[in-house]
Amino acid sequence: MEGGQSAAIGNDPERGMTSQKGITLEARGLRRTYQRGTEEIHALDGVSLKIQEADFISFTGPSGSGKTTLVNLLGCLDNPTAGELDLDSRRIFGGGKIVSERKLTRIRREVFGYIFQNFYLIPTLTVRENVTLPLAFYRKPGTDGEAEKLLSMLGLEHRMNHLPGEISGGEMQRASIARALINRPKILLADEPTGSLDTKRTMEIGEVLRHLNRSAGLTIVMVTHNANLAKLAGRVIEMRDGRAHEG
Amino acid sequence: MKEQAVAISGAPGKGFFQALFLLFLMAVPAWAATGCDLNSPDRDVPRLFPESTRYRSNYVSLRADQLRSVVARLGESFRVLYDPLNVPYTIYEIYNGSEKVGYIHGVNQKGQFGGIQVFVALDLAGRIKSFYIQKMSGQWAGKFRDTEFGRRFLGISLKDFDSFDPVSGKGSGRLAKIRNPAPEMETDFYGVLRALKKNLILMDELVYSTKRQNP
Amino acid sequence: MISPFQIAYKNLLRDRVRTLLTLGGIMLASWVLVSLLGFNRGYERALDHDIDNMGYQLMVMAKGCPYEAATLMLQGGTGLRYIERSMVDSISREPEVEQATPILMQAYFDPNKGESGGIAGYFGVEAATFPAMKLFYRFRKGGWFQNENAAEVVMGFEAAELEQREVGDMTLVPEKNVQLKVVGILERTGTQDDGTIFVPLKTLQNISETDKITTIGIRVKKGADVAGLEGRLYQLPNVQVVSFSQVKQTIMTLVSTTRVMVFSIAVIALLIAMAGVANTVLMSVVERLQEIGVLKTMGAMPSDIFLLVWTETLILCTGGGIAGVGLAFAFARGADALARRVLPYAPKGGLVEIDLKLALLTIGVVGVVGLLSGAYPAWKAGRVRPLETIRSAV
Repeated sequence: MEGGQSAAIGNDPERGMTSQKGITLEARGLRRTYQRGTEEIHALDGVSLKIQEADFISFTGPSGSGKTTLVNLLGCLDNPTAGELDLDSRRIFGGGKIVSERKLTRIRREVFGYIFQNFYLIPTLTVRENVTLPLAFYRKPGTDGEAEKLLSMLGLEHRMNHLPGEISGGEMQRASIARALINRPKILLADEPTGSLDTKRTMEIGEVLRHLNRSAGLTIVMVTHNANLAKLAGRVIEMRDGRAHEG
Repeated sequence: MKEQAVAISGAPGKGFFQALFLLFLMAVPAWAATGCDLNSPDRDVPRLFPESTRYRSNYVSLRADQLRSVVARLGESFRVLYDPLNVPYTIYEIYNGSEKVGYIHGVNQKGQFGGIQVFVALDLAGRIKSFYIQKMSGQWAGKFRDTEFGRRFLGISLKDFDSFDPVSGKGSGRLAKIRNPAPEMETDFYGVLRALKKNLILMDELVYSTKRQNP
Repeated sequence: MISPFQIAYKNLLRDRVRTLLTLGGIMLASWVLVSLLGFNRGYERALDHDIDNMGYQLMVMAKGCPYEAATLMLQGGTGLRYIERSMVDSISREPEVEQATPILMQAYFDPNKGESGGIAGYFGVEAATFPAMKLFYRFRKGGWFQNENAAEVVMGFEAAELEQREVGDMTLVPEKNVQLKVVGILERTGTQDDGTIFVPLKTLQNISETDKITTIGIRVKKGADVAGLEGRLYQLPNVQVVSFSQVKQTIMTLVSTTRVMVFSIAVIALLIAMAGVANTVLMSVVERLQEIGVLKTMGAMPSDIFLLVWTETLILCTGGGIAGVGLAFAFARGADALARRVLPYAPKGGLVEIDLKLALLTIGVVGVVGLLSGAYPAWKAGRVRPLETIRSAV
């Protein structure tokens, strides 16, 4: 666990950012191609975009349009086949070099928080333990007491000692949001965050995300099928056939 | 001679077994030492209790209050030479089919030349059905182990000791009528009677009084 | 804040049945292993104790088969082979001999022992030389007989207990009807001597109407050439020589075959248990690949994941090892009784000796072997790529 390291880190994208200010992501000509047998699948076909501090972007589009592929590249979960990605003017991907999983992990834990459709809470840990789970591997300074604050902010203080199996779907997603925020990420990536929830809870989560964006200035990049949820974002980008179209 | 040397110092051979058995021979095997158990219950039980079809061995200890009662009823000190006072007693429960029909129990008693082991087979009312001296030392010990002597005790119960004191040898009733078969071993004759009284008192404390309290 | 150890421990609680079954396998293997190691140590110590308590290192006896003699004794005491008393003096003059003591074994039939009678055995020993061979004997009461012709006995603890004898009481030699007075009762020695009745040699010779003996016990000087002495003793007419160190070696050789076999079984049991551990941990890794991928998105490095999974293995093996050792402690007496049943010769004293050092060694062995078996699942978990494992509907 390298909790103390971030204080000594310079502006090296592989080692993380010192600045607590907002961050920009700039993608240029991102491509991602998969090999399926003899067939080549072009999941992303040269996407360029810029994400500013405190942006709330929603990617929409039909299945197979490349939204999740794009968000995975923006979130440093994968290497592109071609193209460049800069994080606050520092090159992450580019020049055809493959970035190792180890380096990507270091970047991810400094910059990003993630929430997924299936929550992925560990069933044998309580809500509080799930929220503090990232701190077992990496801990930024100043995160003491953060768990209680986040749980309170997200309305989960009365569920702290419950197991995931004892709470509702909406509460589980809020817990996973708290977990994603425990290490004060710059950007929150949300891949179909309400895909497993009903309409009421979908809007609840949407409101939580909007609140985080507006009051805390958190940059949020969201993938969703849900048009109503997408409208809560400040920018909506439609993906079609691996290309981005901003409306 | 050389052959034998090889047998002893080499791989297990005749010499090895010789040595092994010598190890056992160095001390003569003692019979069952503590407590008073039948040497061969499978053989002895049917002999002492002909109507038995099976038996069960129970191990019972005296409580403190029971021990005090035994000492008071014996009228002499209940002195156990080697075993602690709360040593478990073996009581053989005798069955005919699923029905319990009686008990067999033995006690140790100090004799003139060695230990005396006195066993009785009792019916459910506490009357003697068989009397057996499993072990006794002395030149005329055989007379006490004779079946004729044993038959004199059939039907005797603890009640018979109400009118006879085996310590002084005085009293009346059936016990007083039993003659010493070996006058040369007078000490052991009274020792046998005292052992019998001890046996019946122990059985009363451990079995029959419990049955009276919980019928 | 939750620690990696707590995460690992709680992961094991996910499927309690599977965890318990795996723990059970390790527990059984550990139990067998520590019991066997305890037996290895205990048996040899108990055997050493038995043989040391013989008091002498060599015995010379009449040529012939003691097995037959034992049988004949059990049948009535006839057929024993004798040697001359004078042989003791010639043996005593050997330079390697520190002390030689003559012994006469006799047995008499007692018709009043049990339903059909039994054998009463006696050991005739010399008051001047025998006690010096058994310096570790302690008397519960009384002491050795004072002269070689005394009509006295010294009884082993169990022999006295059976006969309900105290010092001052009389005993009777059956068949011969000779009365002897009890002058000493020994404390328990934990050897066969507990059931022995010792009589002055000359007294027993008189009772038996013989001037011969059956055995000579020989104590050898420290550092003496025992093999050389044995060689010369073999040359004596009509005798055979038994060396207790050879007896011990022969018994240990016999027993070692059993030990090797049981040890192999213990090792196999341990390997099977470890295969079970590897399988359990691997299964649990495969079942939570997505979770592991999510842990990596949270910032867990491959080494963090490796250590997490390895910690689960360590918990399983240490827990199973401790439980197995606990069972071994609890059932040491049962293991002792089982060993006695199975072995051709079982010395008195504890056969299974388990102490803290052995327990820790066993737990250590189980832990190390367990960590080896958990290395592959841990490595596999460390290599998980988040993207390959996390699936969303797109």
